[in-house]
Amino acid sequence: MALQSTKPSLSTQGKKDTNQQVGQHVVYYACKYTPVELLAGFGAKARLAEADVSSFDEADRLAHVNLCGYGKGLIVRMLQPDVHEAVFVTCCDVIKRAYDVLKAQDKFDFIYMLDLPHKRGQAEVRLFRERLRRLAEAYAEYSGRTFDVGAALAAFQPPLPRTDERVTLVGAHATKAVLHAVGTDLGCKVENQTCTNRQLLVTPPPQLARMAADASCSACDDQVTRTGDGADAGRAGGSLDAFLDWYADALLQQMPCMRMDDVEPRSQLTSRRGQRGVIYHTMKFCDYYGFEYAEAIQKENVPMVKIETDGTSQSAGQLRTRLEAFGETLRGSDVAKEVVSKRGVSRKGVYAMGVDSGSTSTDAVIMDAQRNIVAQVILPTGARATQSAERAKAQVLQQAGLDESDMTIKVATGYGRDNIPGMDSSITEITCHAKGAHYLAPQVRSVIDIGGQDSKVIHLSPDGEVVNFVMNDKCAAGTGRFMEAMARVLEMPLDQFCQEGLKWKKEVKISSMCTVFAESEVVSLVAQDTATADVIHGLDESVARKTATLAKRVNAEPPYLMTGGVAQNEGVVHALEDVLGAPVQTHEDSQLCGAIGAALLGLESLQQA
Amino acid sequence: MAQNLTGRIIDTYGNLIGQHIGDAPDGVRWWLDFAFNAERVKVNALPELNVMPYQRQAAAIALDSVTDALNDFQHAVVTSIFLPNEVFLAMGLKPVTAEAMSGFTTAAHAESGFVTAAEEAGIPETYCSFHKVLIGLAKSGVLEAPPMLASCSVACDANNLTFKVLGSHWHIPHVYVDVPYETDDESIHYVADQLRQMAEVAQQTYGARLDPELLRQHVANSLQTQECIRRSTHLRRGRFMRSDMGNEMQIALATHLAMGTDATLLMAQQMEKDLAHAKPFDGVSLVWAHVPPFFLKPIADLVSQSKDVQIVASDMLYDQVHPTPQRYDETQPFESMAERLVLNSYNGPSTRRAQTLLRMARQTDAQGAIVFCHWGCKETAGAAQLMRHTLEDAGYPTLVLDGDACDRGNCMEGQMSTRFSAFVEMLQAQREEVADGVA
Repeated sequence: MALQSTKPSLSTQGKKDTNQQVGQHVVYYACKYTPVELLAGFGAKARLAEADVSSFDEADRLAHVNLCGYGKGLIVRMLQPDVHEAVFVTCCDVIKRAYDVLKAQDKFDFIYMLDLPHKRGQAEVRLFRERLRRLAEAYAEYSGRTFDVGAALAAFQPPLPRTDERVTLVGAHATKAVLHAVGTDLGCKVENQTCTNRQLLVTPPPQLARMAADASCSACDDQVTRTGDGADAGRAGGSLDAFLDWYADALLQQMPCMRMDDVEPRSQLTSRRGQRGVIYHTMKFCDYYGFEYAEAIQKENVPMVKIETDGTSQSAGQLRTRLEAFGETLRGSDVAKEVVSKRGVSRKGVYAMGVDSGSTSTDAVIMDAQRNIVAQVILPTGARATQSAERAKAQVLQQAGLDESDMTIKVATGYGRDNIPGMDSSITEITCHAKGAHYLAPQVRSVIDIGGQDSKVIHLSPDGEVVNFVMNDKCAAGTGRFMEAMARVLEMPLDQFCQEGLKWKKEVKISSMCTVFAESEVVSLVAQDTATADVIHGLDESVARKTATLAKRVNAEPPYLMTGGVAQNEGVVHALEDVLGAPVQTHEDSQLCGAIGAALLGLESLQQA
Repeated sequence: MAQNLTGRIIDTYGNLIGQHIGDAPDGVRWWLDFAFNAERVKVNALPELNVMPYQRQAAAIALDSVTDALNDFQHAVVTSIFLPNEVFLAMGLKPVTAEAMSGFTTAAHAESGFVTAAEEAGIPETYCSFHKVLIGLAKSGVLEAPPMLASCSVACDANNLTFKVLGSHWHIPHVYVDVPYETDDESIHYVADQLRQMAEVAQQTYGARLDPELLRQHVANSLQTQECIRRSTHLRRGRFMRSDMGNEMQIALATHLAMGTDATLLMAQQMEKDLAHAKPFDGVSLVWAHVPPFFLKPIADLVSQSKDVQIVASDMLYDQVHPTPQRYDETQPFESMAERLVLNSYNGPSTRRAQTLLRMARQTDAQGAIVFCHWGCKETAGAAQLMRHTLEDAGYPTLVLDGDACDRGNCMEGQMSTRFSAFVEMLQAQREEVADGVA
């Protein structure tokens, strides 16, 4: 009985090949196991396909919203009119489905799926070699070109030595926007080791180079027009075989991506030797790298920060805070030196101003040289963050009875930190919160901050330095916004919502942390006449569970201090205590934590200046 | 009356389980074992009378397989659902799949706590819930280490990730069978060799010997079972299935977890007889892709032994059944298992799965199809629209329904129910229009 066709993955679709006519073949690809050098042997230039777009509407329509951003970006990019040739690899589930969706569009001159083994042993190398040969035959037949071993070797990029004191970007594919953000916001040199970073680890053997030289001498023989089914993949059949004998293994033995069975070599990417830090990039709906991060963070032998994006062009913009904070963590005491003292000491003495421009409130603090708080102000941020910051500065100066010229140094923090006029420096709220929390409660080892639009957990050393931190991703789950949305569903002001939740009598479980799903659950509970207090308690618990999950990711430990607007919600604080199994402190000045930290860092810089 | 996955596992204590996962894993384990065994006694002593005999057999096979494994975990091997199990069966071992344990945990209303335990360990929220529950069971200490794990790359990446994590967590051997995308002889021999290596590891791990003759018998059972399923497909046309979503899940478990056993072969033979004598059905028949959310009453009740709408066939029964018999038979047992795995409709391009659904729809004379996008299943989500177009182009209206077949927390019950009901109403209206036109 005959089996199914062995070449289901090839489609030349019989189209007019404009690239071929002008002698330019550009093959778009998605995976680092794509045989770029083999394709170069046929004169094809390979380009990584990725879309720099703000949404993936077309991919959502053709496939599904619950695919990773890279897969969706790939679909969008490959549908552009300039793409005629594409080679996919049976990498992960999403790439396989992206191939299916694109092939069904019937727009490519050449589209091919290369079957990649998940293992890297001898049997797999043999199998992979055969698959590569089939691709070579298919491409030779399509393009009418002959394999040129010299051209293949010319495309080979020699392995790069790893630099000392490196910061490594590991994990899921990073778009150009993410690479740019990492390069500019961190303030350190970064090596890219994400899943699409392609690098063969071995150099071609000398006999291949000799073969290339010999072939160039008999170039006339190789210019024969190809006929037939491409079975010899060019008259250079001998050189192709010799090339594949080396190449199949070389391609397979790259630093394995996470879809490989044996990923042990990946531990080198996060090892301590020569490693300054690791930026771990995960992408929504790409599960592979979430797994590796979960394991890597447990070892905690090297400073590491997780960033998560959804693959859209704007998602990189939301990374700045955590990248800058990570840069500050890596540089340690250098942070203080960055705060440059620009003015002399006023005759009234040394004063430092800290301004925290947050999404909900803008806070300002003035401290004297003895680290005493001289004045403090909390204002709602409103629609204009810059104006609120100006008002906060004016009010805190008025309260202190000082002029702006009396300030020895002024440090900004928070989301709007770079847009406050007249400040000397800006430092991320991560570093400032840690400093402020240590000032307010020196024994605290973990800060849980749930603000209006994000939640974070900072693990501190006994000296108050940042050991590790984690922030939620961009969705509102578990933040103040989530609680505000739920209060609106229950039609009550936020204050009343917080108080009402303390009167609960019966456990109600809200399973989903997604704002949309949770709202649906709350509506269902209301329809079932569930007591409002019980519903609110269920929501408090769901926020606590989400936050505890973040805390575990950075090995947070008691004593805990909770800051941010949600710290005012007693129900959430109690629920957090239950989930964490330890008391969670709050502090009457916790909302000022960031501003206090900024002022303290300003004072420290003066001492070191 | 609807029969869910384990019938009526006592579910009152689901929340209690969730609360004590962290502080009393032994107690939680005891309770789950008790609940599953109690249900086993009930299914065997007081079987559901409204369903057909083969469906009762499937329920018993699913329950017996899981409880046998949990009751004797030192002879269990935790596997992924598409991995051929004949090697383990021939060695007297007890395979149990992630989907079976997670599905049973869901039936006991206890999945939420294990999902949380997995997410606390860093497992992404966007991961498949079946696998999250299994990881939660392991990480919480509720599920103790089996001697060995075995998984294959069909149908999804989760079989790579989950089992790697569990092998590392429990410090036990894990055999991963890599299944190529292509369906040629090279692929079959490559997989067959890996299955031989798996047998070697199993023999070393359990200190048991693989009897070649027993293996051949189990593989022969599998081939006959597939043949029964293939032969009986057309018998579903216009017949009342008397099924429900729980039963569909039980049949899927019986034909994967226990494929190759005498019991599953007998069930398949009984199925042929039952279907041949099934009553006529005049309602809407649906083909279902992926496992159904048996625990969601508003949806499950609609198709539960209903005379208005039914699931006539699920692709979790037909994934291993091909239009033509296999090339390799029991005389080459490893090649035969490998061929079945390589040709599985969930392997390779999704056009293969779409064509299987289309074939099912044609042979059973279905009126429409549901492509159920289980949360975290990128294999299905990515192919959903392609499958829909394939079916609709052939005249079978298709609903892509998003939800979760394991975790209630990911299901928007009201919205799912509305979409499903509206789709059925649309099909019913179309049938009436056709009937009126004929009249």
